[in-house]
Amino acid sequence: MGEVELSCLAYVKMYLHACLFPRCSVNGLLLSSSPAGGAVCVTDCVPLLHSHLPLAPITQLALTQVDVWCAQTQQRIVGYYQANACVSDCSPTPCALKIADKIAEQCNNAVLLMIDGGKMSPDYRVPPIVMYERKDSRWTLKDKHTIMLRQWEETREIAGQLLDSGDHSLLVDFDSHLDDITRDWTNQKLNAKIAELASPANAEQQLKAM
Amino acid sequence: MRDKLRKWREDNHRNSEQIVDVAEELINEHASKLGDDIWIIYEQVMIAALDCSRDDLAWTCLQELKKQFPGSQRVKRLGGMRLEALEKYEEAGKQYDSILQEDPTNTAARKRKISILKAQGKNTDAIRELNEYLELFVGDQEAWHELSDLYINEHDYGKAAFCLEELMMTNPHNHLYCEQYAEVKYTQGGLENLELSRKYFAQALKLNNRNMRALFGLYMSASHIAASPKVNAAVKKANVKYAAWAANQINRAYQLAGRGTKENKCSVKAVEEMLESMQITMS
Repeated sequence: MGEVELSCLAYVKMYLHACLFPRCSVNGLLLSSSPAGGAVCVTDCVPLLHSHLPLAPITQLALTQVDVWCAQTQQRIVGYYQANACVSDCSPTPCALKIADKIAEQCNNAVLLMIDGGKMSPDYRVPPIVMYERKDSRWTLKDKHTIMLRQWEETREIAGQLLDSGDHSLLVDFDSHLDDITRDWTNQKLNAKIAELASPANAEQQLKAM
Repeated sequence: MRDKLRKWREDNHRNSEQIVDVAEELINEHASKLGDDIWIIYEQVMIAALDCSRDDLAWTCLQELKKQFPGSQRVKRLGGMRLEALEKYEEAGKQYDSILQEDPTNTAARKRKISILKAQGKNTDAIRELNEYLELFVGDQEAWHELSDLYINEHDYGKAAFCLEELMMTNPHNHLYCEQYAEVKYTQGGLENLELSRKYFAQALKLNNRNMRALFGLYMSASHIAASPKVNAAVKKANVKYAAWAANQINRAYQLAGRGTKENKCSVKAVEEMLESMQITMS
């Protein structure tokens, strides 16, 4: 279909989410602050759960709250990501398809992103992600050449840095927020840290997008 | 330091990175002062090392334990876990089989074999084996919980609910089991299940009035029941009341949490708006 761009901010947070809970399946929502139409620009993400992904109530709750927050901040939900606990299988689970379907109802070029746990080690130079798009009511693999990550080397470095410094523990997903509601699932603190580490040119782009 | 390690052992914390950080210094410099504690610390550190892919450290610990306790089944199991960590599942399986030949009642070895199936993504096999295990070892809470998780991942909510019922029976004061059960019922859907889910969310709140999931769950299940065309006016009225109470509690909790911190102004506002919007769809 169309082109999809994945921002540094979105990628780093997704990656850190998966690293923070290596023994669990994790999922989250992909957001865009660009207007609808044309290429899909994923500018941010909200990490959701790291336990009991298929159970409905908390997922429904999270979707509603993120929807409200998006309306307040001029963003839209444009996709869904998931990383399976079982590293050998990165295919979308039924619950991933279900949630992605729901998102596609509101956003017709929504994307479904699976993180390939097997390719997350430092010796892999390509982004460990597999993207799907909706064609004829089915989720089909997206052509790799239509997926763009600007300044990939830099993004990869930033993710690595945050992991090494232990800052990935700053990430708050919706599950953690429910355990302690003083923790912020919009991750403003972590967003600021990532913007700091990105080059000045990138930082300006992020701030404009936020 | 050794007290910290003991606390982590007793609370069953899986903070492997921390343990590994602490352990190297402890073992290298203070080994003599630890006395007999050192063996259990070796075991704790070895498992943490496997978790952090530190095979070097794990191997050292394993050797020390093998020297001190030759032929021990407990040490054999640790050897098996190391093979699992290296993804040598067949060898690990053989190791556990040999333990079970000597001692067929060794639950640890049986559970490790099931873990291997889970690691390989063979969920249906793991479920079958775990069911067989539970027929023999009915009281194993950990196993019941693991089984409920496996069923949830396979979307078999009815059987997951059954496992959680077992857990609730033996642990009536555990609010987490009540709340998980309520979530499963909610996911199953349908008026009867929604009503059950509301009751169990309420029960979880009775046991722990700060369980936010239960509070939100109560709000959502009561709202859905009230909005259903199949309920009579009295039931609708009652559920609207429950939902309103829950919304109130949620607002209060968020106001309290939002005090003084700029950060969660976003989440507080989001919750307020969400509650408002859901009220509109209800009435």
